Amino acid sequence: MIKIEIDASKCTTPFACKKCLQVCPQAVFMVAAAKVEKFKETDPKMPGNYFLWAHYIDKCTGCGDCVNVCPEGAIKLVLEEGSNG
Amino acid sequence: MCWVCDEYGDGTRWFLNPQNYARFMYTVKRPGDAPKEYGSDPEAQSGRILGEIMTAKMQDPEKFAELVKKANQRDMAFPKGPIQLAQTVTLDEAKEVCDISYPIAAMFCLCRHHVRAQEETNEHEYSCTGLGVGMFKSERWPERYKGGVHFMDADEAKEWLAKWDKAGFMHLLMTFGASPSGGPYMGGICNCSYPDCLAVRGRLDYGLELNALKGHYVAKVDYDLCNGCGICVQRCQFGALKFEVVKDRPNIDQFRCFGCGLCQSGCPQNAITMVERESFPALKEVW
Repeated sequence: MIKIEIDASKCTTPFACKKCLQVCPQAVFMVAAAKVEKFKETDPKMPGNYFLWAHYIDKCTGCGDCVNVCPEGAIKLVLEEGSNG
Repeated sequence: MCWVCDEYGDGTRWFLNPQNYARFMYTVKRPGDAPKEYGSDPEAQSGRILGEIMTAKMQDPEKFAELVKKANQRDMAFPKGPIQLAQTVTLDEAKEVCDISYPIAAMFCLCRHHVRAQEETNEHEYSCTGLGVGMFKSERWPERYKGGVHFMDADEAKEWLAKWDKAGFMHLLMTFGASPSGGPYMGGICNCSYPDCLAVRGRLDYGLELNALKGHYVAKVDYDLCNGCGICVQRCQFGALKFEVVKDRPNIDQFRCFGCGLCQSGCPQNAITMVERESFPALKEVW
């Protein structure tokens, strides 16, 4: 089984960076605004405004492209026993 | 007959029934009511349920199977239940909707925003189509409607949908909550593709049927007219179309076909026809 750990203290502007979101062959990641307020647009360049998570983790093959592409070293692949399928 | 039409079509296809476009979509806020938090809307509630199901797939396969079975019950769909209902439509059907619905607006695609962090901030970049009074509240929720919306008349909307069809996106008719007539409220015509469309993905990867029901047609190839160019194979978003090497012709798995019509609209030989789903005895209950 594969887990993707994302260190939010390093990954602070995932929407603006978007490298892992775009490189992932399985489109595992999702990004969203941490808080949505009325009459307010969330600035993706402000640290902490958006957060990233591995939503479709069951589709992850463990290829490691996201780990390699992350400029902050915020993504860690954790391999455990058992398969994702 | 399609069960959604059966229930909400009033004698016609459910998305051609004007009652499902009735303009009073939202509950009227009474003085003293607390303002609604973002995330309390039907769309977000639906998303949370599907999120739980996906988590269960990894952690508890038995629970996953149980949750999917429950989520596929027809009563779980808007407006009776919490799950956002959508159905595949062909370009022609989508154009018919443009003649009934008002207003129609181009807007950014929330799915691609979430899945690929795609930025669509103006009318030249927008790739989704919103329908109905929801479009008037875009200014209230600038994060949900990035860059606002671009209103279109029916003809412009038809051209807009044709543009996305040509580019290889299929159309899903999305509902957002209930209409006061008791039916699902028609809220959008999405231009979708796998894997960035959350609905298509929910259906294909997790078996969540209400997220993306199959449409009223099934594609069929005329092997004599077809010259084997293979363009259709690239256009299928559902893995229903393969190239049958032995025959040198495409092969459509009609059980997998969603009836979006992309293969047909892309065929330079006009070799693909969309046949009514209900004319196939084994497919008429496959939605």
